[in-house]
Amino acid sequence: MAEDPTRFDPYGLFETLDRHRISYIVVGAFARVVQGAEELTRGVDIVPSTHPENLRRLGQALEDLNARGPTLDQATPVHEFATDCGQLKVVVEPAGTRGYDDLRRAATREPLGRGVRPSVASTGDLARMLAALGREHDLPKLQMMRRVMELERGELQRSRAIER
Amino acid sequence: MRSAALIREARLRAGLTQTELAERTGRDRSVIARWEQAVVAPSVDTLVELVRACGFDLPLELVPYERADARLDKNVMLSPERRVRRLLSTTEPADG
Repeated sequence: MAEDPTRFDPYGLFETLDRHRISYIVVGAFARVVQGAEELTRGVDIVPSTHPENLRRLGQALEDLNARGPTLDQATPVHEFATDCGQLKVVVEPAGTRGYDDLRRAATREPLGRGVRPSVASTGDLARMLAALGREHDLPKLQMMRRVMELERGELQRSRAIER
Repeated sequence: MRSAALIREARLRAGLTQTELAERTGRDRSVIARWEQAVVAPSVDTLVELVRACGFDLPLELVPYERADARLDKNVMLSPERRVRRLLSTTEPADG
């Protein structure tokens, strides 16, 4: 397939990961958009389970995606790949977290259409990661995530009041 | 910083490296990197010049301002699927 650097097809990306039964959590800008933030991105960041079998399957999925980038290994904290479906960043242990098992507890499966339902990190965890990075240019994103958390809490309280 | 995201977005859509964009605009690659990392911000004129060097335009016009909070409130009301579709329609490369 001819390389098209402008292509961004998150559906194709998630379908490939799911076809290979990869256990992962979506984090980063794409996750924040799914959770309600207003950001622009043309890539997907994932935190995979570091179980050896999962990493082996991830390697196969990367081959299917024609991924160009470093060799996948557990020692490297962040792997950035250019794939036929756009940029894919594989982060073993995002800042402020203890990786997949930590994020999995609060992550939720979000229906994105076309039958795709990836596990997406919670707003609280996404804010935690941004705060841990401590970068000045991430401050507006962090404020936005905190606002989304407030709105979520308000929505939860409203729905509980209706249940009563 | 929005200019940083815009420059990176335009460059990636054009399939250019920082070095290639630097060559096209007669600047050093490190300057492009500092703009993209939001270490410093370019002037509006420079921003338009960089975006054009990537084959895009950045029309500047006055439109009524909607507070970021209000926009976010509306966005949160959308389903995750609609949020993603909105993102994709925003970042879709122009035809041609």
